[in-house]
Amino acid sequence: MKTVLHAASLLALSVGMASAATNPVSKADVVENYANIAAAKYEDSVVTAKRLQVAVNALIADPSAEALTEARQAWLAARVPYQQTEVYRFGNSIVDDWEGKVNAWPLDEGLIDYVDASYGGPTDENPLAALNIIANSSLTIAGETVDASTITPELLESLHEADGVEANVTTGYHAVEFLLWGQDTNGHAAGAGDRSWTDFAAGDACTGGNCDRRAQYLQAATDLLVTDLEWMAAQWAEGGEARASVTGDADSGVIAILTGMGSLSYGEQAGERMRLGLMLNDPEEEHDCFSDNTHNSHYYDGLGIQNVYLGEYIRVDGSLVSGASLSSLVAATDAAVDAELTGKLSTTMQALGRIKTAAEAGFAYDQMLERGNVGGEALIMGGVNGLVDQTKSIERAVSALGLDTLEVEGSDSLDNPDAVFH
Amino acid sequence: MRECLKLIALLILLPIGLVAGEHDARIRAVLDHHILPGFQHLSEEAEDLSNSAAQCSTDKEGVKAAYHDAFDAWIQVSHLRFGPSETGDRAFALAYWPDSKGFTPKTLTSLLNSADPIVQDPEAFSTLSIAGRGFYALEFLLYDERLSMLGDPAYRCALIAAIAGDIDANVAAIRNDWETGYAASLSQPGGDSPYRSEAEAAQELFKALLTGLEFTAETRLGRPLGTFDRPRPRRAEVWRSERSLSHVRLSLASLRDLAALLAEGYPSTAETLDRAFAKAIDRADTLDDPIFAGVVDPKGRIKVEALQQQVNNIRALAESDLGPRLGVAAGFNSLDGD
Repeated sequence: MKTVLHAASLLALSVGMASAATNPVSKADVVENYANIAAAKYEDSVVTAKRLQVAVNALIADPSAEALTEARQAWLAARVPYQQTEVYRFGNSIVDDWEGKVNAWPLDEGLIDYVDASYGGPTDENPLAALNIIANSSLTIAGETVDASTITPELLESLHEADGVEANVTTGYHAVEFLLWGQDTNGHAAGAGDRSWTDFAAGDACTGGNCDRRAQYLQAATDLLVTDLEWMAAQWAEGGEARASVTGDADSGVIAILTGMGSLSYGEQAGERMRLGLMLNDPEEEHDCFSDNTHNSHYYDGLGIQNVYLGEYIRVDGSLVSGASLSSLVAATDAAVDAELTGKLSTTMQALGRIKTAAEAGFAYDQMLERGNVGGEALIMGGVNGLVDQTKSIERAVSALGLDTLEVEGSDSLDNPDAVFH
Repeated sequence: MRECLKLIALLILLPIGLVAGEHDARIRAVLDHHILPGFQHLSEEAEDLSNSAAQCSTDKEGVKAAYHDAFDAWIQVSHLRFGPSETGDRAFALAYWPDSKGFTPKTLTSLLNSADPIVQDPEAFSTLSIAGRGFYALEFLLYDERLSMLGDPAYRCALIAAIAGDIDANVAAIRNDWETGYAASLSQPGGDSPYRSEAEAAQELFKALLTGLEFTAETRLGRPLGTFDRPRPRRAEVWRSERSLSHVRLSLASLRDLAALLAEGYPSTAETLDRAFAKAIDRADTLDDPIFAGVVDPKGRIKVEALQQQVNNIRALAESDLGPRLGVAAGFNSLDGD
């Protein structure tokens, strides 16, 4: 017993020394930096979405294979900062309530445009699964007639989640993705969607019919994406509502950070996005299925979790945003838990990096999902296991900071799973 | 020295007011009276189901009865989604639902149309998409108008037998893992156990309780309820075999047992929780709507909503009373996300 006490005082001493040696980190500084990083990430999302807008306008003004490729490249670049913002979703209701407008997935693409015969028609779940807005200037939705003669951002907003079905996605990145790439009809074989630039061509060169309306749709959806992202960037800027809600109460702000990290790691990314697709062996269960960009989508989601914890983010222009980190806050109370979590986040990034490198070298994510593909399964499960494992340490960080007994509004899944369920 | 540090870490981790060892008896009681007998019962029923399906009798009544018994037993342990049930995606393969994109009928249709020989090889069958395996797939083959008649009858029968055999194998593996190692991991945290402390083990059980309640409220009841303007009775769980309400009752009864074991030693919390369970169960018992078809009409809808409210009341009580008593938070679960 004496030895135990001796060890305890030693331990207490070393903890004291460790925190004295480093700069004191306050929760207020941590949430301030968290808000700064959010502002930078959403601003970067706006910047890259505007580049996409320029490329889309060029494609529509003068359709060509080159212009379509440019627009696709711009879309891929726009995903890099946006995916890193996803960690802000679950802890911040203002983000979660909004994000369906820009990143809803999966979608029944037959709602938007023509699809392959194998897609099928309306389903039990979704009578509008094959509505085809582009081909029809008048639509019937749950018995009501809707005038769709001009496709505007307002029309797309009003049709989003039509008939209360979440798969009726008319706006956001994935609607634009579908218009730029088209359906991926390769199944488990390599290859993304292969829409021809002539789907946007004028006159007799037009393929797929209604090229003018398709262009109108693409433009409206892209414009709306920019506007929606600008709105969110403003919420995190100085004086914005999202910033105020995390900085107003530092305890609840820290809970928001951890809630976002844990909910994205476990239920959303490891579960819904990665493991489920693997267990269903379905190539459509890919987050970015039209463009075959899923490996990047997963990678940058993971990176967003890591950089929020470490409190530093590299912007799309190469500059660094950094400040007081949650990592140092945790370390000041329990250095072992911080070391454990930091290590696990890095292990996850290594695993997600392996998926990314394999995909970039030609082993596409939809091939990894194929039944009996042992290598693909191992790659994906590596990512899943890393994410599940880091969630356990995130829970330990919550305990270490003594946040588990706090009743704070907005702590979502930590004390009210209901709040993030919707 | 290592032992010393471990002890200190434990003391630091434990919230004030809790004594080391306080959860020990609680965890053992949950194992002995809830988890282990639950999986034992399930494995016996699953074996019966597999034997019954293997006979391939033209009279489906026997296999249907065995399906109901085994499914009942699964629902009673379906909230225990950690450890052995997560290894190798076993629980997912037993119970893939909700299926909002219709993968189950799609997968079964493709198997039946192509008479895929995968049904002859249990090992290969275990690599099939989870949408074509487990209790929910079996329901389609036994009760869906179209799928129960599709393709060659002999093949259909072999497919039913393959699914039942796969269920049996999965359940046996879960039971075996619990009995030969995982029960010890849970009751003896530290060392090689995934749980560092009794508090972490207790948190796992508390999370199972909350996750079970959340699933019943949000999914079993929430899906058919839809919205007032757009109720979705066809999204009720296993309505084809008329088990929707029955799952709510079975799961509430089992979660009530778990809650009582977790609240042992805290009489006021135990009593409050048990009263809340009794109210919800009473409401479910008197609800005359086995597949929630009534959600389409305001009078019927209000009854299902009231039941959902009662389940949500239990959740709130568990979080506000039981969690702090145990010194644990809800943490993260697989239903987080969208």
